[in-house]
Amino acid sequence: MNAMNAPSKRSTLEKKLDKLIITIFCVLLTMCLIGAIGCSIVTDREDLYLGLQKSDWEYHNRLAIGFFTFFTLITLFSSIIPISLYVSIEMIKFIQSTQFINRDLNMYHAETNTPASARTSNLNEELGQVEYIFSDKTGTLTRNLMEFFKCSIGGISYGCGVTEIERGIAQRNGLKVHEEERSTGAIREKGFNFDDPRLMRGAWRNEPNPDLCKELFRCLAICHTVLPEGDESPEKIVYQAASPDEAALVTAAKNFGFFFYRRTPTMVYVRESHVEKMGKVQDVAYEILNVLEFNSTRKRQSVVCRYPDGRLVLYCKGADNVIFERLADGMDDVRKVTREYLEHFGSSGLRTLCLAYRDLDPETYNSWNEKFIQAKSALRDREKKLDEVAELIEKDLTLIGSTAIEDKLQEGVPNCIETLSRAGIKIWVLTGDKMETAINIAYACNLINNDMKQFIISSETDTIREAEERGDQVEIARVIKEEVKKELRKSLEEAQLYMHTVAGPKLALVIDGKCLMYALDPSLRVTLLSLSLNCTSVLCCRVSPLQKAQVTSLVRKGAKKITLSIGDGANDVSMIQAAHVGIGISGMEGMQAVMASDFAIAQFRFLTDLLLVHGRWSYLRICKVVMYFFYKNLTFTLTQFWFTFRTGFSGQRFYDDWFQSLYNVFFTALPVIVLGLFEKDVSASLSKRYPELYREGIRNSFFKWRVVAVWATSAVYQSLVCYLFVTTSSFGAINSSGKIFGLWDVSTLVFTCLVIAVNVRILLMSNSITRWHYITVGGSILAWLVFAFVYCGITTSRDRNVTPVYYFPLSISFVVLCFLFVYNLQISFSLQENVYFVIFVLMSTFYFYFTLLLVPAVSLLGDFIYQGVERWFYPYDYQIVQEIHRHESDASKADHLEIENELTPQE
Amino acid sequence: MPSNTASSSSAPAGSSKSKRPKYSKFTQQELPACKPILTPGWVILTFLVISVIFIPLGVVSLFASQDVVEIVDRYDNDCVPTPARTNKVAYIQGGSDKSCNRTLVVPKKMKQPIYVYYQLENFYQNHRRYVKSRSDSQLRSVKDENQIDACKPEDDVNGRPIVPCGLIAWSLFNDTYALSKNNQPLTVNKRGIAWKSDREHKFGKNVFPKNFQEGNITGGGRLDANKSLSEQEDLIVWMRTAALPTFRKLYGKIESDLEKGDTIHVTLLNNYNTYSFDGKKKLVLSTTSWLGGKNDFLGIAYLTVGGICFFLALVFTIMYLVKPRRLGDPTYLSWNRVPGGGR
Repeated sequence: MNAMNAPSKRSTLEKKLDKLIITIFCVLLTMCLIGAIGCSIVTDREDLYLGLQKSDWEYHNRLAIGFFTFFTLITLFSSIIPISLYVSIEMIKFIQSTQFINRDLNMYHAETNTPASARTSNLNEELGQVEYIFSDKTGTLTRNLMEFFKCSIGGISYGCGVTEIERGIAQRNGLKVHEEERSTGAIREKGFNFDDPRLMRGAWRNEPNPDLCKELFRCLAICHTVLPEGDESPEKIVYQAASPDEAALVTAAKNFGFFFYRRTPTMVYVRESHVEKMGKVQDVAYEILNVLEFNSTRKRQSVVCRYPDGRLVLYCKGADNVIFERLADGMDDVRKVTREYLEHFGSSGLRTLCLAYRDLDPETYNSWNEKFIQAKSALRDREKKLDEVAELIEKDLTLIGSTAIEDKLQEGVPNCIETLSRAGIKIWVLTGDKMETAINIAYACNLINNDMKQFIISSETDTIREAEERGDQVEIARVIKEEVKKELRKSLEEAQLYMHTVAGPKLALVIDGKCLMYALDPSLRVTLLSLSLNCTSVLCCRVSPLQKAQVTSLVRKGAKKITLSIGDGANDVSMIQAAHVGIGISGMEGMQAVMASDFAIAQFRFLTDLLLVHGRWSYLRICKVVMYFFYKNLTFTLTQFWFTFRTGFSGQRFYDDWFQSLYNVFFTALPVIVLGLFEKDVSASLSKRYPELYREGIRNSFFKWRVVAVWATSAVYQSLVCYLFVTTSSFGAINSSGKIFGLWDVSTLVFTCLVIAVNVRILLMSNSITRWHYITVGGSILAWLVFAFVYCGITTSRDRNVTPVYYFPLSISFVVLCFLFVYNLQISFSLQENVYFVIFVLMSTFYFYFTLLLVPAVSLLGDFIYQGVERWFYPYDYQIVQEIHRHESDASKADHLEIENELTPQE
Repeated sequence: MPSNTASSSSAPAGSSKSKRPKYSKFTQQELPACKPILTPGWVILTFLVISVIFIPLGVVSLFASQDVVEIVDRYDNDCVPTPARTNKVAYIQGGSDKSCNRTLVVPKKMKQPIYVYYQLENFYQNHRRYVKSRSDSQLRSVKDENQIDACKPEDDVNGRPIVPCGLIAWSLFNDTYALSKNNQPLTVNKRGIAWKSDREHKFGKNVFPKNFQEGNITGGGRLDANKSLSEQEDLIVWMRTAALPTFRKLYGKIESDLEKGDTIHVTLLNNYNTYSFDGKKKLVLSTTSWLGGKNDFLGIAYLTVGGICFFLALVFTIMYLVKPRRLGDPTYLSWNRVPGGGR
């Protein structure tokens, strides 16, 4: 059910590119149609010099002339179709992914020895347009490592660590965070990251409440369902626990000197240190009388145990609200203080538990135990009865304190999330965990804060629970659906209210899997979508892998936004496949996510580099490459088009066959690839410093029809300049001996101007010009000249062949279509002598050099003015950033030091 | 579980092979690069530089063009006798006397050499059907005289190949001009009017016209069958097909000066039929400068562009002074502007 077929992915930009290509095709057909109509009108039967005779079919049938001219023109104008574009883009993307992404040192994770890996080169530019990120929680945002971090005992808080979230908050407020100094000899092991000398090594004995401390430690050591494995020594023992939290608590007890080392069905053995006096170690066996297990409704866990001296105690740990409800009267002070601590812990992103105990007298216990045994042996509703019985004894508790466990986030996650959200990316967390945990993590990674308006749609409401207790499946479904519908409508109304106010709070939606199942119903889907699109963060808890994929598709298809999924486990595979871009966390357990992904990175935080640097640049580069290809082919073809008007629409070539064939593959091919590889608007460090720049990609600022129109205008302008300036000025004598240029002289001159203008245009549009730009641009122009010298210098014995299209139209018209696709690489073997010596003739005149300076300069001037005015009056954000940092040299080294201090360029 | 990896974290790139990518400026995308920013200063400077370069060039080329004296005389209409003007085609195709007298007045002193051109308009020498109708190999060497595939319909006469074949040669221009000043004939030198490369390489020294203009319809001029093609410069000039339907071809040159006010009598033979397609014919006398003939376009274009650039430089400077935009002003960033003000 959760499996889906692996889709093949194409980037949105490429799909858009298809539209552009179709448009180009339409332009081509229009041009041909204009030519064909023109031809059939203009062809003059009295043009004697054309040698038309009455026997020729052309003499009679203008429709046929138009028809065949149409096909002739298609071959003539086919250069408008940028065939080599796809090849060039593939090359660029391939190098981008294999050389840039895979080898980025900023995305290399030293601890797991994992570099980033682009598993497809299709989606590089998609990374620059992502608007929604769907993230798994465990293993992606967090390391799935629970660590005992803080606790409070009786009203005093212990533990002086600073959580990452606190550090993040401090940083955002501009406070300098000094690296925490760990006290000497602080213990650090898996599950334990607590540092406070007041409690360690028996120092708790000197604290105001040594008895409570003792109770806390015992509670930690006794009240759990952990099984110890391995050697019974503190260093070697391994705790097997249902959840990493439990293991962390028991580990904590061990480190406080209450080492739980053995469990038998009835007994728990704890090696206690410093209890009676400092330094004394004794093994104590506690008899476990009853275990009241944890479940999600009870949200607590209790153990009744008997001390060796006969004392009967119930230890209870659980969620704060549950425990607080069951405390004995009095002790308001401790309660209040503890509550404050709990809030503080919670907002630091810690997972909190309250601990309490109750001394039982034997009579009470015995009478209760009977009820308990009865309930336990009940045949019907045992669970429910057990819960009820537990209620009877879990009361009048004495509060010991609280514990706080850090579900350690991966390094840099809050920062990364903050950066990404500044970039305009919305992050949704889809997790299988329970709601509280999810919310906690959301707090921890800055997804939710207390200033946000939260909409919580949970199946844990009274109405739903009641319905569930009645137990009728259809009824339950109906009730839940109604509830979800009601909640969604209400939330949406409220959300829209907030959206209309200017400075309304940010919104967050929390929804659990059961509700989601109904919310994804076609009738509610639209409401869910519009609600969630208004929210800055969305949390989906307790969702199945399939639901993860459904949510992803909802946004992908419903909102037509570009989505990215990131996850590490097998349960994320369907989500990874459903999104536009799938990212797997590599270097940890399991390969399924990586195998299904398009990109694999070792850490969540590398998303910053992957999206803001590589993605943004790729997007920018591919856009520029596409636009440039469009422009250069259009410019070239338009000169041909203008010429067609002056040849009586006969379809005469303006350029020599070879010039036309090599224009794309030789004289303008390399600079654009260099552009696609090296173009940078702002440096990598600035890209990350100004994440807002990424929004230009989300808005698709560089590949809009408006941008296409600007380039098209530029192409029309340049082609007109190149064509008209040269043809007009070369009308009369062009040197002192009164000689006149012929067709091929003029066309070669236009071609030369065009090659120069189009190549230099690359430099004009580049924000970062490397020496490769100069080499390829210069090289392309030089290549043209060298080619012209060689080609114009040879004569052959073979005569020029006639393009057969005109003469064998029917047999060829099919070939023409095939022709279109290979035309740019087609090399006609008919060496022509038209251009024999032409370049030398040209170069023997002053006129040539005067034109060569004037025409490219004028054609580029238009673009130059446009760019100058645009930057001056309507600057893009990246241009402002360029200006802000215009005096700085590349700060990349500092940037490296920040990320990974072991990098030196010498390596 | 990540425990094993966490414990080995202290030894990165340890015993196992490190997958750490090698540093190179290329892969880290840190190649040294020039980062031009089109600041107002640069924009203004560029405009100034262009205008400083272009205006003098414009002046120079305009001067060169102004030095050129050009006389243009359209005669296609006037050279048809008034009664025949109702049906010019019949006249031109008929057998009557085609000679015609024209008088030209020299407006300014013309220094030798003075070039004589004919100018045709509405004549599509660049028509697809026309351009390809030639055989370069046949023109160059005798042994290829049968390569006439491209020349249709003027390829052969009764199976004998035409040399030179094809529509271009067939439609050779054949009006002739005889010039005289004060009843003294002015010699029109017809040597050296074609490009040297054409003369020496494209038209063979031992290729002689054969079967030329012997078909049903005569397209134009005839050739002296005893002169090799490389000496037939009129043909060579004609066969360097023009780019546009309005074009000039060199007819010859006068190697003596003409003074201001001189009247020149032209006796021309109006043989060539442009009437069937409304083509104009003009006779042009022109001197040249180092830059060629009368060509105001280049000069004006240079001056205009230079002027525009200068003007733009001024406008931009004024704008810069009146309403400067501080470079790198963070308030211009779209996310710092008021919502809705973004682009």
